[in-house]
Amino acid sequence: MRNNLKKMAKDVERGMKGLSWRIGYIRLLERVGHINFQSGISHLFFLASVLLVATITIFFVVFILHTALPVFKSEGLINFITGTRWSYSEGVYGIRMFIIGTFMMTCVTLMLAVPVSIFTAMFLAGFAPTRIASALRPLIELLVGIPSVVYGILGFFVLEDVFQHHVDPFFCATLGSFIPFFRDVNPNSGSGILLAATVLAVMILPTITSISEDVMRSVPSKYREASFALGATRWETMKKVVLPLSSSGILTATILGMLRAMGEATAVVMLVGNAARVPASITDTAYPMTAKILNEIGYYVAMDEPRSALFGVAAVLFAIQFFFVCAMRLVGGSAPIKIFRGG
Amino acid sequence: MNYRKLEERICIMMTWAAAAVALLALTIILGTITWEALPSLSIYFMVTPESDVPGLGGGVANAIAGTFLLAVLSTAIAAPLALGTAIYLKRYAKSGAFVNAMNFLLDVLAGTPSIVLGVFGLFFLVFYMKHITGGFSLFAATLALVLVVLPVIERAMETAIDSVPAEIEEGSYALGATKWDTLRHITIPYASVGMLTGIILGIGSAVEQSAVVLLTAGYTQFLPEFRILPSEELIFGIEIRPLQDLVAALPITVFRSFSQPHLTPASDGFGAAFVLVLIIILLNATIRILIRWRGQVG
Repeated sequence: MRNNLKKMAKDVERGMKGLSWRIGYIRLLERVGHINFQSGISHLFFLASVLLVATITIFFVVFILHTALPVFKSEGLINFITGTRWSYSEGVYGIRMFIIGTFMMTCVTLMLAVPVSIFTAMFLAGFAPTRIASALRPLIELLVGIPSVVYGILGFFVLEDVFQHHVDPFFCATLGSFIPFFRDVNPNSGSGILLAATVLAVMILPTITSISEDVMRSVPSKYREASFALGATRWETMKKVVLPLSSSGILTATILGMLRAMGEATAVVMLVGNAARVPASITDTAYPMTAKILNEIGYYVAMDEPRSALFGVAAVLFAIQFFFVCAMRLVGGSAPIKIFRGG
Repeated sequence: MNYRKLEERICIMMTWAAAAVALLALTIILGTITWEALPSLSIYFMVTPESDVPGLGGGVANAIAGTFLLAVLSTAIAAPLALGTAIYLKRYAKSGAFVNAMNFLLDVLAGTPSIVLGVFGLFFLVFYMKHITGGFSLFAATLALVLVVLPVIERAMETAIDSVPAEIEEGSYALGATKWDTLRHITIPYASVGMLTGIILGIGSAVEQSAVVLLTAGYTQFLPEFRILPSEELIFGIEIRPLQDLVAALPITVFRSFSQPHLTPASDGFGAAFVLVLIIILLNATIRILIRWRGQVG
């Protein structure tokens, strides 16, 4: 410390003698900022960890793309995405079936999850007695923490039976009688898009609910009060004031839920049936991209071409998520995005 | 007027119904797991590794130990990195563009589907680097899990740093403290409870992660053992256990009751699931207590 002071004093002296006292003053400030050895080391550590995190992330992305590159080159990117055949023996790789599988499963999931989630969020943010709301919130958040394998075996061992004997025939008998899309095409099994989507809907419900609730709560209370003062009922206030104001937040929440459903692998692989063809019905089996990768990478990781093809699927999945992350940053500014990855 | 009242009634009823559906789903899930796990569930089941039980299945101590090691090690690697990154981005970085770029990278990492992280782990860490990691191993799975927990902890640490009031930091600077002094004596102590919450969140996300662990850990019936063995395949000619050895984990046991039903009975899978959910509930409860405590302190 004494040394530091001496050096500082010298600096001041030199500064005074030098061009003007102002330069000396600036030098003094610089000394104070940098002279402390500990301070320098800690600064270095923080900088190093940022750079390391950046390097790891960039390396990860580049590695995925680099491994996928051979299949993009041999098949052509467009051909790879729109191709209908996937055969290891012939070396033909097209992932249209898997994209369709992911797309349909995600759509059904959102149709099931979004209404329930938004109504639950409205309940928690507006209508629930405080006690009930504060008791319900941690319970709903618990649903986020339940691992996806657990959802998976629940669906596989318990719900599949229920779907085969009750839910699928019910849809077939009611909606299926006039809309072919709801027919029960394989009555011997319960697994399929509907089962997977139902389980996924429960998985993403807490994500959409809690973010939407946060957004609804952040609407300033003076707006609500103004609405009440004008004679609006509680529901009218919710519908005409709170919902429009929080719509962009609810959209973000829905996209986050969608990404979670889309990226989910372990639960889906157990529930969706894994048959690579265009699903004929909502209860039919499908083969989403995540299930394809998880099912087959273990067998093909040592073979160049098939591995590259499976990494190609992963790269496309990654690109879709990347696109939505960018879109959300554009919509929601630069607010950090909550974690939304599934298992 | 009557119509308005009717709409109000019906719609508010619907929100109650939606909340009831969510609650019902949770009850069914927890109830079914417990019910299906009952045939296997006992203290013996939780404290015995599968290798000590005659026949197949019957114990998950190996998986519990594996999950514990995976979660603790990956968090221990990720937490300092996350701390350094959060502090640099919040307190040191001067260029807005750099901060934005880093936030974007972290968002991308956070949004990457776990299956993509999993195949990266399988090919790069398990296959490509097998002379260092030992193939399917605790080491490979830990490194892969670091990618999972890093953005979780980093985001939580940023939130914790944001919660520090600017006045007390400015007060510290006004007293002549340097940036590092302020960080060490003011910012980090003030944010420590929030940072701890972040670390527990990280442990939770490592515990519940399935796809990455499935693709990188392998599976073993044995408890982790601390030993150093000669090995011709590994770098330096030695194998350090448990780091370079196969490791079991609860999500793998659960998954095996689906993928290898002849090796792992369904009730064992549900038993492992029960333990897993129990761990998650405990971690969640800890976080709630911490948050409440911080509320009183701050």
